[in-house]
Amino acid sequence: MADSTPAAAARAARNVRLGELLARTALADQRAFAELYRQTSSHLFGVALRIVRDRPVAEEILQEAYVNVWNHAGSYAAARSQPLTWLTAVVRNRCLDLVRRREIDTVTLTSADDDHSPAMDLPSGEPSPADLLLAGADAQAVRDCVERLQGGTRQAIALAFFQGLSHAELAAHMHEPLGTVKSWVRRGLERLKGCLDALGAGV
Amino acid sequence: MNLGQTDRRRRLELVAAEYVLGTLPRQARARMRRAAVADPVVARVIDEWERRLCGLAEAAPAVAPPPRVWEAIAKRLAFAGGASAGGWWMRVAFWRAFAIASFAAFVALGVGTLVSREQPAGAIVVVLAGSDAKPALVATASRSERALHVKAVGAIPLPAGRALELWMLPTDGAPRSMGLVDANGTVTLPLRSPSGTFLADAKGLAITLEPAGGSPTGAPTGPILYSGKIETI
Repeated sequence: MADSTPAAAARAARNVRLGELLARTALADQRAFAELYRQTSSHLFGVALRIVRDRPVAEEILQEAYVNVWNHAGSYAAARSQPLTWLTAVVRNRCLDLVRRREIDTVTLTSADDDHSPAMDLPSGEPSPADLLLAGADAQAVRDCVERLQGGTRQAIALAFFQGLSHAELAAHMHEPLGTVKSWVRRGLERLKGCLDALGAGV
Repeated sequence: MNLGQTDRRRRLELVAAEYVLGTLPRQARARMRRAAVADPVVARVIDEWERRLCGLAEAAPAVAPPPRVWEAIAKRLAFAGGASAGGWWMRVAFWRAFAIASFAAFVALGVGTLVSREQPAGAIVVVLAGSDAKPALVATASRSERALHVKAVGAIPLPAGRALELWMLPTDGAPRSMGLVDANGTVTLPLRSPSGTFLADAKGLAITLEPAGGSPTGAPTGPILYSGKIETI
């Protein structure tokens, strides 16, 4: 990624540091693992909380995720992804598995009142997922590509990514037909990929 | 045929993207995960999407977890301080003792009466353990010896077309290959200098999973399966 801003340099330095901590964790270094936890747990807890929207559950997921990281740090391949990306994926996957499993119960329970979407409103003062999508795109290329997504598409991608909403939940939340929401998601992802690949960023 | 492949590739891209984004339903998620384990192409496409999307997560406001989360993790992993600390050290200690004993036997066999009943003076022992902390291989050498003996404790499951490569991890610098080890027996790896010198500034040894014949690049390309610290006895 041809991004030479101070923020990008700080990010790169942090990734090198986290990569070292992960490598030492793979060698069963408990102090390195504790330091890795100190440097990443707040970020990952924030990610988990937004998706599962339940503190005790998010705590549980964080615990499971770090136990997993300790046991599988050796499978982290620096050539394939950056440390924080890998850790984020570990946590998000656990969260998504959980909310998708829970969804089946929810659908069964709430199928009677169709217009009621599950409580997914954020506390006031919290940035919206769409704000986050732009804020998170701190590498210029990604920001450019996110900005090019249009209203509904951007909103659908943001809600799905940050809050783990399924197609059905997106449709309920955005008051749009399921088919519309599905095609927004698909189009949004295709455009992001096309845009990022064209700029030689992302992958 | 070509069209069919292009179409399949497009579908894979889309499903992988929705997997990473999170919109796939439960069963499709599980299918995707199984496919990623079985097929490296699927795994790579998912990796690519994680790289594209997961950076966005940096924007989610950080929230400090309560201290009980770390306490629970440390307790589950039996870290020092907890009552159950030392579980795996016990096992490593056992294997270290085992290695010393078998090394003594090896020296006694090889050098005959010279060492007879005495422990070999100045030997190096490395117990290589996996992420489950179970010792998998033991490396031994006398400090003056220009060779390292690496023995698999039990048979190590090894996929076809793969090999186990041993690396010396210097305190500074990149890992150095020491050669391939046997998943199911003992190998003796020659060293350029006496093991005491060769391993003087190593912080440990590690074994990675590599293509048959060893890493094509001279640097580790696969995951670390086993690692251990160098102990001088």
